[in-house]
Order: sequence, then C-alpha cells, then structure tokens
Amino acid sequence: MNIRLARVDDLMGMQACNLQNLPENYTLKYYLYHALTWPQLSYVAEEDGKIVGYILAKMEEDVQEGDEPHGHVTSISVLRSYRRLGLAKRLMIQSQEAMATVYKAAYVSLHVRKSNRAALGLYRDTLGFTVKDIEKGYYADGEDAYAMRLSLKDLAR
Amino acid sequence: MPPAGIPPSRALPLKESGLFKEVLHYYEDRQLKKGLKTADAILKKFPKHGETLCMKGLILTHMGRREEGLELVKQGVRFDLTSHICWHVFGLIQKGQKNYEEALKSYTQALRFDKDNMNILRDAAHLQTQLRLYDALVETRHTLLRLRPQLRQNWIALSVAYHLRGDLAESKKVLEQFENIVKNVPDYDVEMSEILLYHIRVLEELSEYTEALALLDTHAKSRMIIDRVAIMEYRARILSKLQSPEAQQAWQGLIEQNPDCYDYYKGFLSSRAIDLDAVTDDIRPGALQILQDFVQQFPRAAAPQRLALSVSTGEQFKELVEPYLRTRLQKGVPSLFTDLKALYRSPEKRDAIESVVHALLDTLAHAPDAPCPSSIDPTVYIWTLYFLAQHHSHLGRHAKALELLDTAIAHTPTLPELYMFRGRVLKRLGDPYGAARWVDQARLLDLQDRFLNARCGKYRLRAGLIDEAVEVFGLFTKKDAVSPAQDLEDMQSLLYLIEEADAQLRNGNHAMALKKYLAIQKVFDDFEDDQFDFHGYSVRKFTINIYLNLLKWEDNLRSHPAYVHAAIAASRILVKLHDDPSMASAASDSHLSGAEKKAKKKAKKAEKKVQEEAKKAPSSTNEDKGLEATAPKDEDPDGTKLLQAPEPLERAAKLLKPLQTLAKSNIEAWVAVYDVAIRRKKYLQAVQALHHAHALQADSPELHVRLVDFKRRCAPNPALRVNMFSDTIGPGSSLSEKPDESVATVVSAFLPKLLPDEMSLEAYNSQFLQKHSTRGDAVLAAAKVSQALGAPREEVEAAVFNVLNADVELDIETAVAVDAFLSEIRSPREEEFRSAAGERFALSTVFVPHAKLPELRKSALHVPNVAEEKEEVIS
Repeated sequence: MNIRLARVDDLMGMQACNLQNLPENYTLKYYLYHALTWPQLSYVAEEDGKIVGYILAKMEEDVQEGDEPHGHVTSISVLRSYRRLGLAKRLMIQSQEAMATVYKAAYVSLHVRKSNRAALGLYRDTLGFTVKDIEKGYYADGEDAYAMRLSLKDLAR
Repeated sequence: MPPAGIPPSRALPLKESGLFKEVLHYYEDRQLKKGLKTADAILKKFPKHGETLCMKGLILTHMGRREEGLELVKQGVRFDLTSHICWHVFGLIQKGQKNYEEALKSYTQALRFDKDNMNILRDAAHLQTQLRLYDALVETRHTLLRLRPQLRQNWIALSVAYHLRGDLAESKKVLEQFENIVKNVPDYDVEMSEILLYHIRVLEELSEYTEALALLDTHAKSRMIIDRVAIMEYRARILSKLQSPEAQQAWQGLIEQNPDCYDYYKGFLSSRAIDLDAVTDDIRPGALQILQDFVQQFPRAAAPQRLALSVSTGEQFKELVEPYLRTRLQKGVPSLFTDLKALYRSPEKRDAIESVVHALLDTLAHAPDAPCPSSIDPTVYIWTLYFLAQHHSHLGRHAKALELLDTAIAHTPTLPELYMFRGRVLKRLGDPYGAARWVDQARLLDLQDRFLNARCGKYRLRAGLIDEAVEVFGLFTKKDAVSPAQDLEDMQSLLYLIEEADAQLRNGNHAMALKKYLAIQKVFDDFEDDQFDFHGYSVRKFTINIYLNLLKWEDNLRSHPAYVHAAIAASRILVKLHDDPSMASAASDSHLSGAEKKAKKKAKKAEKKVQEEAKKAPSSTNEDKGLEATAPKDEDPDGTKLLQAPEPLERAAKLLKPLQTLAKSNIEAWVAVYDVAIRRKKYLQAVQALHHAHALQADSPELHVRLVDFKRRCAPNPALRVNMFSDTIGPGSSLSEKPDESVATVVSAFLPKLLPDEMSLEAYNSQFLQKHSTRGDAVLAAAKVSQALGAPREEVEAAVFNVLNADVELDIETAVAVDAFLSEIRSPREEEFRSAAGERFALSTVFVPHAKLPELRKSALHVPNVAEEKEEVIS
C-alpha cells in the first residue's frame, strides 16, 4: 500500500472510502476546504489508484485563550478489507509530523464515539492518545464522544 | 439639486438618501427585516427608484422569497440602467443561481459605471476564472493590483492569472517583483512559505531547474519555507531533473521520512538510472539489491518488500514470496490476495504463489470435523483457505473456491470475510440472489460495521431488491434525513447512485433509472460549482499550488468513470424514449409488485411526516437563507416527469458532450454519441463518432450495428447514393430529412474507409459474422443487424441461438444481453433460451423461468440461522 500526501484528485476517493466506513459523512466541498486550507496535513493509502484509507486533518481555527495551536483529525478510516496493515498508524504519523513542523502544533485532538471500541483501542493503545474529556451528545444521533489528545511536543523542531 | 452626473431618476432627497444608506448597512449586517422596512419607506415615496428596488429584491432573495426578489431586481435594473448598484445586485443574484455567464455580463455592466469598484472587480475575477476567461482575468487582476498594490494577494492573484493563461514568464516576473518589495515577513509565515513554493513551481514548469533549486535552497536555509516534506520533495524532484548526483541522497531522505511511499523508491531508483516500471534483465540484480537494502533498513515498511516481488523473477521470487505470504497469513491480512493479484500477469509468479500457499495449507490441514490441533494456529489455517479461494476464483475455478470457503466456514463460522467472498463467487457465477444472501449473512456477523452493511446493500441492488437494499442502507444513514436514499444522494455517494440506477434499469424502471443517473450528473455539477468559492479563498490563503491542481482537476472532472457510465446509460434511455415516445406515457408503476407498491407508499408517508415536522420547526423571518437556492422538495419521486420532459435527444447530447474530450478512449461513449447524433441529424458528428470508435476497435460488435444503421439511414439521399451506396435498402429506413449536400460530401469521403462500398448490407453482415463466428457478442450483433434489415423473426432467432454452439465463446453478460434481445423482439423462444443458458451456466440463477423470479428474490433475503456458538472468534 502506497502512503502519500493527499492530492486534489484523491478527494473523491477519500469521500467514497469514508462513506463506506463511517456514519459521519461530508460533501466534497468539506474535503476541498481541508485540502485547500492545510494542503500538508491529509494523507491517503492507495492501491492501484484506489483509495483504501485516509486521514483528513486540519488545524484548529479558533484556539481558545491560553490554549496552544493544535491539529485536529476530522476523519480517519481504512476499508475493512485493508485492515491489519498498520495503515491508520502510518497515516496518522505522517499527518502529525506535518502538523508539528509546518504549523507548530503542540498537540493533536480527535473525537471518537464512546461505543467505538475498536477505534478507541487504536487511538489509545497504538497511537498513544489519551482521553481528555467526554463531550455529551457530540454526534448527530446524540451519542457522547471522547475528546482525545496526543502531545506533539517531541516532534516539534 | 442632484450632484453632477447623477440622473434625476436616481437622485433622492436628503432624507431618503440617508435611508438608502441605512438599507445598505442593514443588508451588510444581515439585518434583513430592518433593511426591508427601510427600503419600503423609500419606495412609498419613490416607487420607481431602481437602486432601492434592487436592494429590496436582494433582501427578499436572502429571506427566501426568491421569485419575488428576482422580479424586483429586474424591475430596478430597468428603471436605472446606468447604476452600478443595480447591475451589481443583478449579478449577485445571477451568481447565486450559478448562472455565471449572465452574472459576468451584469458585472461587466456594473464596471462600466464604476470601473474601480474593488468588490465588483474581485467578483468579476472569480467569475472569469470559473468561466476560464483567462485573458479577461489577467486584465481584471491587473486593475486590482494597480488599485491596491499594498495587498499581498493582489500580486499573487495576478501571477496566478498569468499562469492560468499559460504565460509562465510573466507569472515569474510578477513574483520576483513582489518578493523584491515585500517587507516585514514574520518568522514561520505559512503564507509566505506557500508563495515561495509556488514561485519554485513556476520555475520548475519553465524548466529553469537551476534557478528553482537555488531559490529553494536559499529559502529552505533561511527557514522562509517551512513545509519540510515539500522542501524535500521539490528538491529530490528538481535534482533528478538536473541529473545531479545529489538526487539519490535527497530521495533517501524522503524514504526515511516515509518508507511506505512508492514514489520515493521510484525516484531513488531513477537516480541510479533504473526505471522501476521497465526493469530489464541486466539491471534486475542491481535494482533488487537496492530494494533488499531498504528492506533491511526499514523492516517494518511494506513497500520495499512488495516492490522486490515485482522486480524479482524465478528462484529469487520464490524465495522472497514465501516469507511475504507466510507472515501475512499469520497476521491475517485480508487484502493479501488483492495486494498480489497484479503479479499474476506473470504465469510463473502465479504458479509459484499457488504452490507456496498450497504447501502451507498441507502443513495446516486436518480432518474437517476434528478440532484444530494445538500445534496449528487456526488463524493461519483460515486465512490460507481464504487466500486460496480468492486465488482459484480469480482464475475461474469457482467450484474449487466454493469448496475451500465451505471448509473455512465450517471451521470458523464467525468471520465475515468468508461469507462476503462466498457471495462474490456466486455473483461471478451468475447467481445474484445467492450472492445477496451470503453477503447479508456477513453483515449479520458484525452489525456495527458500515462496510459490511454497504456491501449487503450493493448486493441486494444487484439482485434487483431495491427497497430492501435501501432499508439496509438506512441502518447507517442519518436518522433525520428524508430517506436513506436522500441522505446517500446528499452525501454524494456515487457508489450507491450508480448501483441503484443500474438496478432500476435492470428491473425495467426507466423513469427511476433516469432519475438516478441524472442525480449523478447533478453531483458532478455540484463538484464543478464547488470550486467557485476557492477562486477568492485560495488567493487569500496563498495555497496556490494545490489551487492550481484543483482547477486542473475540475477541467477533467467528467472523465470520472461514474460520470461516464451515468452519461452513457442515461443517453441510452433518452434515445429509447425518442424512438418510442409511448414509453413515457406507459404507466410508470406497472412493473412494481404489490409489495413494492406498498413499500413505496410507506416511504412516501414517512417522507411527508418528515417534511411536516420540518415545517413545524420555528423559523425566524429574519433568517438569512443566502443567495443560493436550497434544494426544492422532490416533485417527481418516481421519475415520471423526467421521462416525459421534452427533447430527450437534446438532453442526451448535453450529457454526452464532455465525453467527447474526456472519454476519448471509451468506445461505448462514441457509440452513444453516434446514437444521439444520427437521430439529431448531425451527420458529421455521427461519422466522426464512428471514426473514433473504429480507431479504438475496428471489429467491435456495437460498432458493426451502428455502421449498418448509418448506411441505412443515409442511403435514400441521392447525393449519397450516387457516391457510395448501390444496394437497395430494407423497409423503414427512409428519413424525412436527409443530410444536405456539403455534409454528404464529407460523409462520403469518410464512410468508405469504414464500410465497403460495393456490397449489400446483408452480405456485409454475413461477412462480419463469418469473421467472428466464435464470439458470442459478434453473433448477437449480427442477429441484431439482420433483424434491423428485415429478416424474418424465425431466422433472427435461429441466428442468435447460435451463441449456444459449443465453439462459441459465451459469457454470462452476453447471454443476458441475448435474452434481453429475444425479449425485445417478443420471441416465443425466450424461455427456451433461458433454459438452455441456465444449463450452460449451471450455478447461475439469472436464467430461471420468469415465473420463478419472485421466489428467488425472496430467497435472497432468507438468511439461515448463523451458528449460535462462536467457536473461534477471528476478526
């Protein structure tokens, strides 16, 4: 599997991949907005031109007072048939590096459904995220989200 | 007295003039209600004040009263044709309607009366970009820069405009000037970093590699460019283009940064004069050595290992592939077969893989009923069986695949992948109903997984179970959506739209099929509109490189397979509709079964409920609804109105237009273009389409049918007949309007290259058949032609039944097409054919007698009880 920076012509493939995997979906314009605002942060896993996994990432735009600049993972997923290759981790690492070097991100945040144990395991055990907070009713269907964080301090240079 | 130059009809007394300023402020602050009230106060005294009328219209449009608003704006413009405000408002409204051409005209008018208005100029620039009017864009950007040279974005925007016009040298000049005057750049300025990367791209595109490299190195060193990956990529690429010895080191750095990126290995090898896509025997050992070294350096990266499999041959390949397979089977990597499939182009590699995996299986196999011996890892066993099933099915050995899957499922009944693939094998065997049942079973094993859910829905659609498919999709779509189908459409799911459209078509529901194909067209229209906001945004954000890539992508947008497929399929329906207008009036529900009608009623009821609830929601009258119209509610839920809309051929031609530049290598596209062109009497275009198709595949059966069609349709024209046609023509071939003479001359110059001149069409057809008598699709095409030439039905039937001969290559798809043809000509022998085809494709169900279809469809939904006790959970 080829891991590389997402290009404009990957966005439709990312959108298709997201629609097959996750219940949170977006129109293409939202992908365009990510790519055209932070062109360094989104990555794809590709096999023979087909997008089999992606990370769609951004920088937090309104940083609260006292907070540091930080990145945010809008969406990350890998097609079921391409699991166990470590793709999510590889995608995440590339994006984190870019957040730290280009935007001096201090940490990266993401949300995960409370019920999504598989993803929780990935973020916590494989990628080293920790649960920072629980956001009540974060999802459209009323489910709570874990707000998770990973420090990028050791990546900054 | 009004100030000089202001026409008396525009001038307002002091009080109203103040009110008008208030209207403008209220509008800008989106205090719409107050704005409206104030505008009305002016209009009470001056009902013909154009600018106020326009502002009122604009405000009403924002409040959702669109038609009323537009009417007022038009009135306002009429009352004051020289006001830049009126034209600006009109342009805004047209832009909101995505009518970019008209909007630009209005903006151009507005600029005539206020030539230095920055807002209008900027909007005009965006419209010019959207419309790809790059000469005009350069001019507008020039004006903007002249007016405000202190704004960074005005410089960059001008450079981009030159770039888009193809004037790279000017683009470069502007950037140099800008960089000379720019001051006080803060540390870590992402924007400046992006601008410099853009500058380097311009130099690279000008092939000024040395300058590009110098600029890159200077600014990388000074840390003005902060995107480290971009620096490394640009550097490696430019060094390679310069054939510099430093290139290798640059690529090495990138590989260290991301050892899973194929491009980096490709770049590294190219710096060692190795083309990864064309490895020859004399460079093979060197290439392999390099890759092996990378495997050592990055043992966790998959890319160099996989690339080594592509490069190696013979014994070396066997040595490498064995551990590659073993470690991944132990890990249970589901995509292993897909990963290696590309290697099967080499029979030697294919056989090597087969023997390695079979040997591995031998060490794992045990009596099917006995528990797995403790010495054996059950996971490896299952994934090995799974791999082999894919392997054998890929090579057409479906029975073997099913056998392996049954062993695996008996051993581990809880792994969804096994059921999914079993469904896929059945699909390949022509059993969509069995396939849907098995995939449903996979879904039931993990109800939390949307991927399994989506597969299940897709397979149900393939089995024609549309309502049932939508029901299953609905488990993951938004609960507050009007319907699952609407949510998937709103989320631009092309996968779903294509599958449903195709399913509707197979079920004979042309109206719904057309509706879904046109929904795909709409998605692409939206994608095209999506770029609009970025014409301004990207220049402000200075993300120019990716913005230029966006424009390029947009220009080729409709080369996407989903658009191509939808356009061709929709055009076929529209052509059919033209040939048989009664199709539109035929009762649209006649094909629905009772259950389907019931489900439809239920869906309609649910939709109504959602809409009623939406109405109940409180809405503030001051709420800004923006200028873009929101989607109106679906007035045509079953697509009948689409089917009845006038001018089907013009609609088809519009759909197909982009394919003529973007799908040039697609023969189906040219055939579709021909079918529409010939009916629109665009003879030249028809001939050109035939020519393109001919160049792509001279012996295409579909083309054969069209060549004869063309000759028949044109033949009665004396001008043509004298030149090229000497045969007599069958019935029904005369046209009311024939090509005029100038066209006829061109046509007659081209056609003989495609079709022999002095031969009857019957003879031509039998010649084609003789040449391709062992091809099922050719036999069918020849039968279609002889039917068109007026041969008796019995003869046509006998001809088409020849596809069943032992020496004819026949696949399921062609057999299905044959069946459809027999049904179209109302052949009494259709069931006979179905029965014979059913025997030929023993495991298929697509040819069962029509009477048995409802039962089969039901069986696709019946899921046998999944084993309750889960023995070994692997997932």
